[in-house]
Amino acid sequence: MSREKIVSLRELAAMIPDGARLALGGSFLHRGPFALVRELIRQGRCGLEIIKQSPGYDLDLLCRCDVAAKASCGIVALEGPFGIAPWYRKAVEEGRLALEEHSCATLAAGLRAAAFGVPFQPVAGLHGSDLARLNRWACLPDPYGSGQETWVIPPVRPDFAVIHAAEVTAAGDARVWGTPNWDRLMTRAAESVLITAERLVQDSSFSERPELTLVPRFLTRGAAVVPHGAWPGSCTPFYGVDYAALEEYLRRPEESFVLTHLAYAPEAASAEAPTVTQGGGA
Amino acid sequence: MTEECFFSLFAYMVIGLARFIRPNEITFSGVNSTLPMLACLLAKQSYEFSFTYLNVAGGVDPEPAHAPLSSSDPILTQSSCSIFANEDFYDLCSRGGMDLCFLGAAQVDAKGNTNVSCIGDWHAPKVRLPGGGGAPVMLPTARRAVGWRTEHSPRTLVERLDFTTAAGGLYGLVTPYAVFEKKNGWLALKHWNPAVSPKEVRLRTGFAFDTSCATPGPEPDQRELSTLRRLDPDGVFAAGAGIRPWSKENT
Repeated sequence: MSREKIVSLRELAAMIPDGARLALGGSFLHRGPFALVRELIRQGRCGLEIIKQSPGYDLDLLCRCDVAAKASCGIVALEGPFGIAPWYRKAVEEGRLALEEHSCATLAAGLRAAAFGVPFQPVAGLHGSDLARLNRWACLPDPYGSGQETWVIPPVRPDFAVIHAAEVTAAGDARVWGTPNWDRLMTRAAESVLITAERLVQDSSFSERPELTLVPRFLTRGAAVVPHGAWPGSCTPFYGVDYAALEEYLRRPEESFVLTHLAYAPEAASAEAPTVTQGGGA
Repeated sequence: MTEECFFSLFAYMVIGLARFIRPNEITFSGVNSTLPMLACLLAKQSYEFSFTYLNVAGGVDPEPAHAPLSSSDPILTQSSCSIFANEDFYDLCSRGGMDLCFLGAAQVDAKGNTNVSCIGDWHAPKVRLPGGGGAPVMLPTARRAVGWRTEHSPRTLVERLDFTTAAGGLYGLVTPYAVFEKKNGWLALKHWNPAVSPKEVRLRTGFAFDTSCATPGPEPDQRELSTLRRLDPDGVFAAGAGIRPWSKENT
């Protein structure tokens, strides 16, 4: 079995240059490519633009380490009792992070414009929102004469879509269990697709149920097998949110804690070659 | 503030939200939406009528073993026979197919427009807030949108928003002390919490509103209360809701 797309997490992160526009998969604390985000910090990346409808831990950590220069997003939070992402909030308030504030659906419209190969994408609603003025979006009359006016969003074309999948093949096919969130659209809108996955499985497992595949191999530029790659978030059905780790992340504002956090992360320990399993769920 | 009193304010909000859910309709709870998530689960487990419950985790009428801390947790897809993902429910709402969705707000004005973006100037915010998520598209396109605010004060229910994240006007608004419902395009008082008076509600609200149809309530029934106790057996949600009880200090 060839492993033509499979590289180490370190090599995968090294494909992303300073200043890249990254669409990150998942939502809030769920199935985000968090190990890859941490690896970007370890490698000293800077000036990244993060594109994601609902970032949480990922954008917060990138702000905490001054790795993100810009974010295009709809809502940023850690949810539940944790509320807003504190280092994200601080970075915006201090002017260290440029924010392009979207609604989740306007960011989807921008990604759709890129995925569909058109210069703009209409989106419903938005009437009366200050976001339209802020972002200088245009509102067009219906050329077919209904009298309706519709807001149109310019393309959002990420350099990379980075998603954390449940399973990947050596050739780079990937699938997730549970909701794909916005990952399907992100992988169609981006220039390149990078995958981290809980485990590597044989092609036959994918070819038995090809309709379950979210990302076909030809779209994938590189993939890394990273068990617990969404820690401290969840990756269904393998594990839930590690709230103790998240509480510690929030409770310890000292600068040195980031190093502790990065060293404690699951991917910091495992460097061995991935094993191949049969696949098909947990 | 006793634990019991905390529970009653929390229960007032969850039950107040649940009472907006109607038979046979499609209802949605989103990200960062603990109270609406609990309201939808409570309605499913307490009310005799059926409705379709969609959530941001992709669940369609799920039966989760317990309510998760995060309202976008994959636990909210347990027993779901399909995954109706983000693009699906936004498109459904956009084409007019969402009967009721719940939307959060930091500030709400008299028309039910919301600010979830910033306190102060957007370009130099005193406080950066989470952002509107789906609201700028869902508030104007959902058939009814209902908001909630755990702090009922003149700085949250305001005459003028610092920023209009979403317009189109909430149909309903629930706080620990009041339930508002749209009347002729403006939020009107529908119920006040029987623990306070309508006069107090007026004093603590930054915008003017109609009270001509207002009654004390809603009085929770035993089934709603016992379901809520079951959904929050250890009081984690009640304590974490961030409800700000009225006192002299925060008048």
